[in-house]
Amino acid sequence: MIGEALKGHLDLLLLSVLAEGPAHGYAVIESLRQHSSGLFDLPEGTVYPALHRLEEQGLLRSRWQEDSPHRKRVYHLTAKGEETLAKRQAEWQRFSKAINATVGIK
Amino acid sequence: MNRTRIQSYLLALRRELWIRGLIDAESLSEIKSHLLEAVEQNVKRGLSKDEAELEALARFGNVKTIASAFERERIDLVQKILFALAVLTGLFIAYVDSRPTWDDSGITAGAILLSSGLITLLGFRRPWLIALAIGLWMPLYETVTSHNFKFPGVILFPLVILLIAIVGAYAGWAARLGIRKTFHLA
Repeated sequence: MIGEALKGHLDLLLLSVLAEGPAHGYAVIESLRQHSSGLFDLPEGTVYPALHRLEEQGLLRSRWQEDSPHRKRVYHLTAKGEETLAKRQAEWQRFSKAINATVGIK
Repeated sequence: MNRTRIQSYLLALRRELWIRGLIDAESLSEIKSHLLEAVEQNVKRGLSKDEAELEALARFGNVKTIASAFERERIDLVQKILFALAVLTGLFIAYVDSRPTWDDSGITAGAILLSSGLITLLGFRRPWLIALAIGLWMPLYETVTSHNFKFPGVILFPLVILLIAIVGAYAGWAARLGIRKTFHLA
């Protein structure tokens, strides 16, 4: 249930995590898990195609970091990604406010 | 460290991605890096190597789920346009071949071979689907209009046409892979 609901908002979550600073896939997934106290527990592998799509859309850039035991692909937000994140955050605020009002949560 | 389980997983994932025409060395390298890091972290948390690998793989998701996730994210507009182009090309070839004045099977076969190859060379990721989209119409039209449902003609003719389309599609696909490898394109 949570996993399915999460899919529709994965872009917003990934952009938000990367707004905190550049990170590689594993760190992004760990951050998602920690921020949500373990509630956002998607199959980890499904995050990578989403990261790649966001990169194709120009919202992220990646570079390979070679100075660690395993080479890591580190992602960072682009200017376009920051703009999109701000827009999505505003949309989410309106959406969650409307849902809360409808279901009676103040 | 015994990485056999991780390697087996990566091989299986590679196969699943290959079937979907999504082979991407960079993605596989990234996934390998993720799994190795996950195993290391799990070992640090006190799990045995075996447990650490099993948990890392379980958390990552089974190969079919992951390959499907890659596929879903990559069915983009270009793929749809290329597929539509393949269907239109196949219909056009079938139409031209059906004209009573047309009597050059060599050119028809060449057109099927070249168009199949060109569309996969342009980036369509499922060669077998392109072969069907281009090679299906001509034998279908021929069989329906000639009412020749007798064996072996009803099987052999479509098979030959599809074989030509398959050879073309996979040749274009292999050429694209070669170009990407040569120029280190993602």
